[in-house]
Amino acid sequence: MINLTQAPCDKQLRIVDVQGGHGVRRRLLSLGFHKNHIIELDSRSILRGPILVRDLTSDTSVALGRGIAQKIMVEIVDATE
Amino acid sequence: MTQRNKLPDIVFVGQPNAGKSTLFNAIAGYKAETSNFAGTTVEHTHSKVNFKGNLLNIIDLPGTYTLNPSGEAEKVALRHLFVEKPDLVVNVVDASILGRSLEMTLELIELDYPLVVALNMMDLAEKKGVEIDVEKLKKLLGVPVVPLIATRGRGIKELLDEVVSELGNKRSMLPVKLSKDVEDKVVELEGLIPPDFPVVANKRFTAIKMIETEKLVFNKMLMEINPSLKKNLDKIREELETQHNAPAYEVISAERHHLAFKIFEESCRVTRRKKVGWLERVDDIIMHPLLGYVILLGVFLAFFFVIFKVGNPLEELLLNPLHSLRDYLAFHMEKNLLFYLAEGLIQGIGGGVAIVLPYFIPLLFLMSLLEDVGYLARASFLMDTFMHRIGLHGNSVSPFILGFGCNVPAVISTRILGSRRDRIITSLLIPFVPCSARTTIILALVAFYLGPFWALGFYVFNILLLGAMGRILSFFYRQPSPGLILEIPSIKIPSLKNMAKKTMVQLKAFVKFAWPILIAGSIVLALMQHFQLDKYVNLILSPLVAKALGLPQELGVTLVFGFLRKELSLIMMLQALGVSYQDLMNAITYQQLIVFVVFISFFIPCLSTVAIIWKEIGRKVALLSVCLNTVVAVIISLAIRLILKL
Repeated sequence: MINLTQAPCDKQLRIVDVQGGHGVRRRLLSLGFHKNHIIELDSRSILRGPILVRDLTSDTSVALGRGIAQKIMVEIVDATE
Repeated sequence: MTQRNKLPDIVFVGQPNAGKSTLFNAIAGYKAETSNFAGTTVEHTHSKVNFKGNLLNIIDLPGTYTLNPSGEAEKVALRHLFVEKPDLVVNVVDASILGRSLEMTLELIELDYPLVVALNMMDLAEKKGVEIDVEKLKKLLGVPVVPLIATRGRGIKELLDEVVSELGNKRSMLPVKLSKDVEDKVVELEGLIPPDFPVVANKRFTAIKMIETEKLVFNKMLMEINPSLKKNLDKIREELETQHNAPAYEVISAERHHLAFKIFEESCRVTRRKKVGWLERVDDIIMHPLLGYVILLGVFLAFFFVIFKVGNPLEELLLNPLHSLRDYLAFHMEKNLLFYLAEGLIQGIGGGVAIVLPYFIPLLFLMSLLEDVGYLARASFLMDTFMHRIGLHGNSVSPFILGFGCNVPAVISTRILGSRRDRIITSLLIPFVPCSARTTIILALVAFYLGPFWALGFYVFNILLLGAMGRILSFFYRQPSPGLILEIPSIKIPSLKNMAKKTMVQLKAFVKFAWPILIAGSIVLALMQHFQLDKYVNLILSPLVAKALGLPQELGVTLVFGFLRKELSLIMMLQALGVSYQDLMNAITYQQLIVFVVFISFFIPCLSTVAIIWKEIGRKVALLSVCLNTVVAVIISLAIRLILKL
């Protein structure tokens, strides 16, 4: 289990857990960050900027600041699965 | 706000970027009696519509992801929904992301108000390969569903037909069935709610929201009015949490989520995406970690270039007749009270019409272009890194951009920011953004006398100062900022009509707020001149103006003008020194010119800006803003004076 900032680009990731305070979790939930959703990191910006996440389950894109991205725990979906 | 002999209230609710405002504009047209601002609908906008002889009061609420309040804008939406009880709700849904959007539809069904689902962006859904069986969806949700494409005006008549027919048709909705154990808890709590309890909409909805809204003010209230219910609520919540090993609100949210996706899967067929469209290829370039910044810079440069290319000739065009009118009056009238009043009035109207609008209209138009295309969100994403360095994040980018036109709407647009801390810091920084009035001064004095590179340098310095101030402010407001959570909508081809309408709406709101202040301020100034109060003002301000800044004492009164209207201090400066624009450099030195421009640009935000900060954020912040700007202006002017002396 790794957090989103450590995850590789262009690999499918499954959300395992969303940590953090109520407010943040609620907002992430309402944007579709549910457990077991499959997401993908779209691109990264230079200078340690925010992370662009594509949610493949609900087909949306959300930009997350690094602080928030650290709170989302994911695992890499095994390609052979 | 609504009339007694009430028209039916039709409320538009939907998630951000679902195209609510576009739909609303398509229905309402220009003549809407409106009240909203800046990028996002933050206050509700309403409009009376006559559809086939049925008068409807249509209300557009700010976008919200759920019916649980978290942000400022969402609270507005919910207050309206819960307190003002509309006669019908139109749920605007982005068909291209139906699965997620349906979560809110389910919440609205629980609310049990008459409901019509407007399935917007059908074209985009089709492009994405989502085929929606509307009839099936209708049956699964148990409410009317109307497919439409708001940007092209398609399906709008059908929607209104459905709205009118639903209005007369009082039916109850099928409650959304949750899974057994959760359902049991909801029913249990529902039974415990006493008959005199202030329920929202209905008991079931209230019960669900009670379980969901942990740690909100509501709970403390409940503790006081009904401790036994509160105890039961806590028990129910605890049981849910131990059963599911997750906070109660997540349990409920997950329920809705699964249900929404089940409905989505049953009513839609997702064919594989045909191919990557050219819009997506454009998107890849725009968001590229390197090219993206090059494009961003290009977009901003083009943005300001266009604004000044359009604004400058327009300003002259509008200002000239007003100047001639003023000269005519000065020549033909005696210098009595009436003359000064007339002059004040002309100047007030001139400032509003001729100085702000020529820059402001193209700015608003381009902003809505950037927003509708989806670039604003992308710019916020790209700028997030830089904003972090000044203690904010990407969401504050659009208020700052708006600030270049006028600080007033910029302050209003801070409502889109999630936390109060971010709002305060952003509002305190906005007055450091050179608005069109201050740009006029910079261009007229710095660019004209010292050259364009000095003006450019001034701008760069200004932006660096903004950054430094942000750092200092975030040092004092230590609470951590929640950080960027921003949905990036898909890139769309904008509709010219929609952009024009949006510009109109925002312009109207600006005129309504700022013009009275501009005109009143100008008249006060004219009266001051008439009663020759300027001498006293000069005398009082002399220690600051003459001693500290080393400027001619006569410029004291221009500072007062600068408070009321920034660009007026330019005209007043010439008047106070008794020279014409061309001869200015005979009266003051270059050093004095620079010190003056710096001081005028940064000291006290103009009256309208202070008023809007007061109204939006609070008195304390408004006063703080005044002090902050003044202190910064004094310090920088002194520093520049010292540097230039060397």
